[in-house]
Amino acid sequence: MLEVNWLHLIPLLPLCGAAICGLVGNKLPKSWLYAVALGSVFTAFMIGLSAFGLVSSETGASALHERVFEWFTAGKLHVDLGLTIDRVSGTLVLVITGVGFLIHLYSVSYMDEDAAYWRYFAYLNLFVAAMLLLVLGDNLVAMFVGWEGVGLCSYLLIGFWFEDDAKASAGRKAFIVNRIGDFGFLLGIFVIFSQLGSVSFADIHGATFAAVPAALAALFLFIGATGKSAQLPLYIWLPDAMAGPTPVSALIHAATMVTAGVYMIARLSHLYMQAPGVLAVVAIIGALTAAWAALIATSQSDIKKVLAYSTVSQLGYMFIGVGVGSFVAGTQHLLTHAFFKACLFLGSGAVIHGLHGEQDMRKMGGLKKYMPHTRWTFLIATAAITGTIPLSGFFSKDEILGKALQTSIFNSLRMWPGGPFMTQLGLVIYLLGSATALLTAIYMWRCYYLTFEGDYRGGPDVHPHESHWFMTLPLWILALLSVVGLVLGLPEPIGEKLHLDWASWEHFSLGVFANPPISNNHESIPEWLTYGIALLIGVVGWRLAVYWFGSGSEERSNKLVAAFPRVHSAFEHKLYVDEFYNAVIVRPLWTGARVLWRVVDVWIIDGLFINGTAQSVAFIGSIARRFQNGDVQRYAAMTALGLAFLVYVFLR
Amino acid sequence: MSWIDSHLLSIVVFLPLLGALVAALLPRSEGSQHKGIALFTTLTTFALSLMLWTGFKPGSGWQFEQKADWAPSLGFSYHVGLDGVALLLFMLTTFLGPIVILSAWRFTKEREKEFFLALLVLQTAMMGTLAALDLVLFYVFWEAMLIPMYLLIGIWGSEKRIYAAVKFFLFTFVGSVLMLLAIFYVWSQSGVGAARTFDVPTLLAQANFTPQVQFWLFLAFALAFAIKVPVWPLHTWLPDAHTEAPAAGSVILAGVMLKLGTFGFIRYAMPLFPQAAHAAAPFIAALGVVGIIYGSLMCMAQTDLKRLIAYSSVAHLGFVMLGLAALTPEATSGAVLQMVNHGISTGALFLTIGYLYERTHTRELSAYGGLAKIAPRFAIFFLVITLSSIGLPGTNGFVGEFLILIGTFTANLGVSVLGGISNATLLSALAATGVILGAVYMLTMYQRVFLGPVVHEKNRGIADLNAREIASLLPLLAAIVILGVYPMPLLDAVKAPVDEVIQRVTAPAQAPRGHETHPQFQRHPSDGSPRLGAPDAQQPRVMPRVLVPNRAPQAEQPAQQ
Repeated sequence: MLEVNWLHLIPLLPLCGAAICGLVGNKLPKSWLYAVALGSVFTAFMIGLSAFGLVSSETGASALHERVFEWFTAGKLHVDLGLTIDRVSGTLVLVITGVGFLIHLYSVSYMDEDAAYWRYFAYLNLFVAAMLLLVLGDNLVAMFVGWEGVGLCSYLLIGFWFEDDAKASAGRKAFIVNRIGDFGFLLGIFVIFSQLGSVSFADIHGATFAAVPAALAALFLFIGATGKSAQLPLYIWLPDAMAGPTPVSALIHAATMVTAGVYMIARLSHLYMQAPGVLAVVAIIGALTAAWAALIATSQSDIKKVLAYSTVSQLGYMFIGVGVGSFVAGTQHLLTHAFFKACLFLGSGAVIHGLHGEQDMRKMGGLKKYMPHTRWTFLIATAAITGTIPLSGFFSKDEILGKALQTSIFNSLRMWPGGPFMTQLGLVIYLLGSATALLTAIYMWRCYYLTFEGDYRGGPDVHPHESHWFMTLPLWILALLSVVGLVLGLPEPIGEKLHLDWASWEHFSLGVFANPPISNNHESIPEWLTYGIALLIGVVGWRLAVYWFGSGSEERSNKLVAAFPRVHSAFEHKLYVDEFYNAVIVRPLWTGARVLWRVVDVWIIDGLFINGTAQSVAFIGSIARRFQNGDVQRYAAMTALGLAFLVYVFLR
Repeated sequence: MSWIDSHLLSIVVFLPLLGALVAALLPRSEGSQHKGIALFTTLTTFALSLMLWTGFKPGSGWQFEQKADWAPSLGFSYHVGLDGVALLLFMLTTFLGPIVILSAWRFTKEREKEFFLALLVLQTAMMGTLAALDLVLFYVFWEAMLIPMYLLIGIWGSEKRIYAAVKFFLFTFVGSVLMLLAIFYVWSQSGVGAARTFDVPTLLAQANFTPQVQFWLFLAFALAFAIKVPVWPLHTWLPDAHTEAPAAGSVILAGVMLKLGTFGFIRYAMPLFPQAAHAAAPFIAALGVVGIIYGSLMCMAQTDLKRLIAYSSVAHLGFVMLGLAALTPEATSGAVLQMVNHGISTGALFLTIGYLYERTHTRELSAYGGLAKIAPRFAIFFLVITLSSIGLPGTNGFVGEFLILIGTFTANLGVSVLGGISNATLLSALAATGVILGAVYMLTMYQRVFLGPVVHEKNRGIADLNAREIASLLPLLAAIVILGVYPMPLLDAVKAPVDEVIQRVTAPAQAPRGHETHPQFQRHPSDGSPRLGAPDAQQPRVMPRVLVPNRAPQAEQPAQQ
């Protein structure tokens, strides 16, 4: 650990950029604004690069650290704003600032005609700053600042076109659902603090927890992760988040923010290894989410919705990875996914831009003629996500599934007290993950064919066109990265032969994560077999997609749909999850609040007790008033009566 | 020490009153001389109070103390001084002073002079309440606050102002009267003949009533303060008062006056009657949590902007009460911090809503929509304040809320009936749902007012914030950010008094003394103090009780797991 004093510049520069863009952005010339917004992110990238160079050299320090200032202290609680870079957070810094810069560049062209471009760049810069803080924070509270900060930027950017009430609502929904997760995150922090008296990662790293607190902390923090990383049951905000500008979806809702949950669990790997039961929950939720979202993705016709559900599904894979104890595999997929999913989103953005806002794939088709750069990069990224060998997605996804098959981490867990052991859980997850891989291949190739192949189905007044090089250059770089990302996951023998073993993620991130147990299940299954199965699944999925959608239209698949109209309609309507939540949680809460107000506040407390008291006093007063009406004769009569009464009492 | 130094606190306290006197002597006129004087006075007050802030040394007892005989034979004196907790609220009061005056610049043409007079008198009364170190003085200031606020609501309020003003007055007064009786009892027990005293430091040093007596005295004090806070279910005066009060009144009410209730707890009710406070802590904490959740739900049911924010105060002060009752250094410091934060955030909310009301003359949510397009500066200011109100990290709201929750989580409030889960853990988890609900009602409100399409065409004419309004909001925004990023000076200031209160309240019971005239009250500590339902499983955090007349820095609390 090497103490330095310049790490704060990495998040500070984009933060300053945000401040400048937000405060005086509308008064600056456009080119100056772009210089500030892009320059700040690029400079942060360069500084991140030098930090990365320091921690990745074999001889240098394993991590850099900076204590920026003491944030707050009370009692035993001591919270610093501290930053730390190791190989993992260093890599993520490069992804955030690197991909972030590309998306800034892309946005220059994409948002050029929007009157509020300055506001957009302020939010985007602010997001980069918050995300960097999330990744660099050296304790849970500092991470939480970034965690909520990115949530805020997500809220602002989803609702960027706030005059549309639906878009504003989508932003609000994202924030509130994330807050539900943050509630879990907070409780997780509290449990850890109550056990350790500290919230810093360094202390958690070396700590041994009792079983129950470890499980509670891990579970609560995972609730936070399901919010931020859009997992069951809190994934519902992410599809709605597509209301934001498409570059935002690429940066926030694909490449960086939504992976924060995976990163957090990987960062706390030593805690999670002490809670194998929670890891099982993580893996199961991940697998279910992956399959669930992939099912929905097959039936969406909005290109961004397909990609959104695809993101939810791919995040599920990452949670399978960390859930089976392979933090390496989970984070590796995080990195490769950042490249190809950002490329896909930006590609869809180029399509939408080229079609003047059209997002419905049924009105696309044949676009390869009009936008060759977009088409080729989209094709490469699609190949990567569907697990085509040898692109990056193949290795990272297979690494996860292979580790799920082998993991022995659940062997000591019982399904219920006294019940059988969960030795086959890994196998079940492997099968579910493989089935999802098939779905992935189908819906992604469907997306590609419907968009780029066949004939153009849009209106005659729309003239599809290729985008400015500001937009296509990032596409090509990201497409390249989704190919080159394969070096992260090359199998050892091949890597050694090509002298690329130094770049293997497993090797590179050594020492950052907790090690999974050494003994493995299903060790007899050779690696080539799982590779073969994965390859086969990819090919079968592709062939099916070609059969159904190869012509660039849905004619053939519609026959299948016609056979199962109800099933298809349910998928099309996203399995009615939003409706379910509305009926069970949202509406009862609002109605309950109104009833509570009318009954308890207005009627019981104010009506019965407060004004009731006042009225009874007034009532007694109104009776008592009769005795004081100023009529002297009546006073005299009363006095005489009273006297007579007393005389009677005493002389009786 | 120069004369100024030794009288600084009194000068600051009475400066607004002096300003009011000067303004009162000037003739009513069309010009702005009255408000000019008001602004000048409050600005000077704030400037002078900065000397208090810079001269304050964290942790060293009462500061800026000044004592003069008033009626020695009856035991009351003019005695003022500040500790860290009072200082923060004092600074909050002086900080809000000029902002409120500035915000009301064009508020009314009707009895304009009297309006500003009321604000100035109120300012002195609030500062006096915070600075007083004598119970009679405290009570005088405490009641003195009522009159100008009553007038502000009753004269310059909106339609149902009379109902709201009377309700406000009666609620607060009922509590105060009981407190007055308790004050007299405390005085009567404080010695014999002329030795009886109302002097707060003396009373704190010798406070040692039997548990039964403590119970009743605590109840009387706590009721007065709980109404002021307001603690659920004593809160129903607040929405009415806020809704009907003029914006300036709402800002002061939310900004400072509510906090005088929580201040009363930490300054008087808890340290004077520590055992009763300790026994009542789980109940107060539970009421705090009810306030958080109930208040948040009430917010969701409102269609009136000011009423909504009023209920959000119930929720936010629920957090403060929870933190005070949790009795851990984290939670209680957080509670004090949250008092300041609430003053700034909710004050700013009422200010902004007041500006909105001046333009549209309606508080109905449905009358707005899409204002961000028409008045972008309004929208940005309001957004930052909203975020501070929902406790986003980086704004002031976060640190206080976080400290309260984390401190409560590790607190010792007994074990609940629910399968041995600690009460504190349960309450903290329940309170944390307030974090979700806060986002629900605040963001929904923000969306209904500022986002979406412009629903009402006449709203297109709404003017954006003008320079004066921005000038009044900018200091608040700056405070939101600065206190969110660097709250340490505040936490340093409150550390010593907070630690001392916690130590007093959680210390084991001592043999009562000082009740020579009432031997029947003398009881041996071992004959069991009724703990108001506090479970026996609870182990008080043991700390040898040190009685110190002046607040000396105390040893750290022993670690408690």
